Amino acid sequence: MADLLTIGVIGLYFVAMLGIGIWASKKIKNTEDYLLAGRSLGFWMFVLLMIGTVCSGMSLLGVSGLGYKMGWPTMWEQIFVPLSIAFCIIFFGVKLHNVARTAGYMTVQDYLAHRYESPTALRSLAAVAGIIVSMIYLVGQYTAIAIVLIWLFQIPLWLALFLAMVVTMIYTTIAGLYAVAWTTLIQSIILIGGVLIMAPIIIIYAGGFTHVNEFIASVNPALVMPWMPSGAFAIPYIFSFAILLMVGLACAPHVINNVLAIKDVKYFKWAPLVAFIIYFVAMFLLKFTGFAGLTMVKEGVFTLPGVPNAGDFVILYGIQYALPVVALWAVFAVIVLAAVMSTTDRLMLTIGAMFSWDIYKKVLKPDADDKSVLRLSQVVVVLSAIGSMLLAISPPEMLASLIWMGIGVMLATFAVPLLAGLYWRGATREGALAAMSLGLVSSLVVGSLNYFKTVAMGIEFAKIPLHFSFYAFVIAILAMIIVSLLTKKTAEKVLDETQTGWYFSK
Amino acid sequence: MFGLPDITIMVFGAVTIIAIAALVYWGITFKGHD
Repeated sequence: MADLLTIGVIGLYFVAMLGIGIWASKKIKNTEDYLLAGRSLGFWMFVLLMIGTVCSGMSLLGVSGLGYKMGWPTMWEQIFVPLSIAFCIIFFGVKLHNVARTAGYMTVQDYLAHRYESPTALRSLAAVAGIIVSMIYLVGQYTAIAIVLIWLFQIPLWLALFLAMVVTMIYTTIAGLYAVAWTTLIQSIILIGGVLIMAPIIIIYAGGFTHVNEFIASVNPALVMPWMPSGAFAIPYIFSFAILLMVGLACAPHVINNVLAIKDVKYFKWAPLVAFIIYFVAMFLLKFTGFAGLTMVKEGVFTLPGVPNAGDFVILYGIQYALPVVALWAVFAVIVLAAVMSTTDRLMLTIGAMFSWDIYKKVLKPDADDKSVLRLSQVVVVLSAIGSMLLAISPPEMLASLIWMGIGVMLATFAVPLLAGLYWRGATREGALAAMSLGLVSSLVVGSLNYFKTVAMGIEFAKIPLHFSFYAFVIAILAMIIVSLLTKKTAEKVLDETQTGWYFSK
Repeated sequence: MFGLPDITIMVFGAVTIIAIAALVYWGITFKGHD
């Protein structure tokens, strides 16, 4: 399928990303430059970094795939995911940014260690949990790129993974967040612009907005309702789905750390609205492309491959039929590459920061100099890239579900210690340790029971009415409240320093 | 409208408008601190 023009388009994109990395590497003077881009991000750089970080490659294919499978009830995804950026800025960003400026935080673990007076135990647990969930999420990201590159070039899975990984790894390793932010700026523009141009063409090709809705309603009336009558995307499930996406993504380590890198807190004024509108419009169109794909499949325009995750291919086939120009397929491959790489680079850097700063510098070797911390960050970025690529060489359908599991584990592990720490003066170190460890373990257990359709203690875990992460989230909340009420309160001085209380900013 | 049931338009329309209104309110009232 691939010709010279296709290879040229993809090659040009890779060269451009590497060029940005080499240019940005000249700005790196110390660890703060590497991990936080010298706390210098402007408004648009920050907004597009947040969008690019949240919007992954699998969400690009998975959004239309889920629309293809379940119709309008899944449109909630297109409201709650964009709202996660607003939630992150409003509920975490303002306060963390303000405290970080005076306290000099490099990572969110710095905040947790300070707020809960736990320089070793909570910091280590948060860093290890962060590395685990980031690796799960990173491995899952490769599914999308493998699907697209195999479709376009018909190359082996390992080669598709290797190509995507090696370019991202190089620019992230040499220039840290400066490269991540600049490449994400370009990648987000490609991603949003590409969706805004390509999605309407596919929708028009399928017969337009009204025809698509009328057609999918004739296939199954539930597909045009706001919720399903039962099971997944029934009202209770949508409630847990809202918490999962809005709060879970907002407190994900690779997303929340971005708030520490902004230049001026005044950018938080309109960033939530601007990010929501841009992301909402692009994702709405992408979801509707899934509905258009369903229309075309049912009308016999094309058939999808006979694989379990056939829905994930719907946008690829839609493009193939609505835009029968091979060069445009290569452009779409670049769009997916942009979506994947803008998330994977941030994940790799976050893993590097959590290991080199939180575990090595703050726990194992406090006297380590800045240069050695910077070098170790770079080594860990390389290792996380290679390790996750090796882990990704396994069945793609398993990888796709890992992304959902990753967000669920992030919610159950980080949301309660962060929210309670920022807003409840009664939250204690022991409460945070209990909430984080129980949240992590229970989400992994319930998530696995749900994934493997286990029946235990008379419960059919495949048919639980809420998303699995919600149960673990509730366990974490209860653990935080009960243990905090029974243990010694945090010093008032620390609570004042960390601006703890029922307000957004002082 | 648009081939959709009224309830779908009303539910999604209301949630989207409320979300945007809340974010506009945040922007207008945000004072910040640095």
